[in-house]
Amino acid sequence: MKSLRILATAAPALFLLASSLPLAAQAPAGAAPAPARAGRGPQRPQGPTPHFADGMVDLSGVWNGGGPVGDIEQGLPKGEHAPLSEAGKKMMAAKQSKDDPEANCLPTGIPRIAPYPWRIVQTPTHVFILFEGNIHSFRQIFMDGRKHPDDPDPTWYGHSVGHYEKDTLVVDTVGFNDKFWFDFRGHPHTEQLHTVERFTRKDLGTLEVETEITDPGAYTKPFTIKFTASLRPKEELMEYICQENQQDAQHLQGAAGTPQNP
Amino acid sequence: MKKNICILIAAAGLFTASAPLFAHHSFASEYDSAKPIEVTGTVTKVEWTNPHARFYVDVKDPSGKVLNWNFELASPNVLIRQGWTRHSLKEGDQIVVKGNRAKDGATMANAATVTLADGKKVFARSQTDGQ
Repeated sequence: MKSLRILATAAPALFLLASSLPLAAQAPAGAAPAPARAGRGPQRPQGPTPHFADGMVDLSGVWNGGGPVGDIEQGLPKGEHAPLSEAGKKMMAAKQSKDDPEANCLPTGIPRIAPYPWRIVQTPTHVFILFEGNIHSFRQIFMDGRKHPDDPDPTWYGHSVGHYEKDTLVVDTVGFNDKFWFDFRGHPHTEQLHTVERFTRKDLGTLEVETEITDPGAYTKPFTIKFTASLRPKEELMEYICQENQQDAQHLQGAAGTPQNP
Repeated sequence: MKKNICILIAAAGLFTASAPLFAHHSFASEYDSAKPIEVTGTVTKVEWTNPHARFYVDVKDPSGKVLNWNFELASPNVLIRQGWTRHSLKEGDQIVVKGNRAKDGATMANAATVTLADGKKVFARSQTDGQ
């Protein structure tokens, strides 16, 4: 049965690479070994891009990375900035860290990602992206050729339709609400947001996620960010209910985060 | 000796640089990395919950008054993937905790290192393991 194709993807690779560096140094003695780590982060499994029997690219696996956490500008070439309009700059300047929806256990939206693993499930009619954390939720991408509705209700993950271009899954999404932030810094958007994501499994262990962002309500022109997710072959998604014991948002101070792509 | 100091400084820089990236909230907006704290006390409760595991410690201040401190760790998911368990720290454990206090002055902090009475260290720093 070729219907259930499990393809997992995860969260911010670059970030995880960086984050796992101190982790590797502090791994507890006698702990169950995590996937082998070498040098500056977990070692990605090596091998060619896998395909299903019918030739379709297999995006399966648990992934980490693939989107912005702290600063969407980290997905731009070094030194470049998101083309905020005057309206966008005002929106961003007004944001206070304590109001970050993600800190308040609300969804990341797109293209932001939480630093938790995620998994993709490919079926003939849908692609599902299952998120372990923040929030413990899912995206559904319609693969049956349908169009976007004329007037979609604004939602956190929007209305997504997808298709394959060779080995790339292309996902077009509209119908977003304006509530989520792109990153800790509070890069804004409006309900005019339109994203086109291109998921390309470059090899067994590497998933490149390129997202074109168009939002004339907050940006002067479309711009494209690129992040990379890494396969975590020995991991499974775990439960993560953020609302259970959230005690942070009420202690966050001051304006949203500072630039991280100098 | 000099070499060791250099390594320490390099490591500190790394923590700082990566700090905001690995939690569901901005580390820098909640905790003051410029003001590290160290407390000694008794664990009164461990919460193995998301989005962060937490433990609470009764700490005597210089006047003898006991305050209950709330320490944040990474999420249980992260800690489990590192090999820790919900039994790694228990109520009644005598510990020394180093961390960074909440900027708003609450008796709340991010735990950087936790050392048990026998010298064993448990848990990694939450903002560096992220998640």
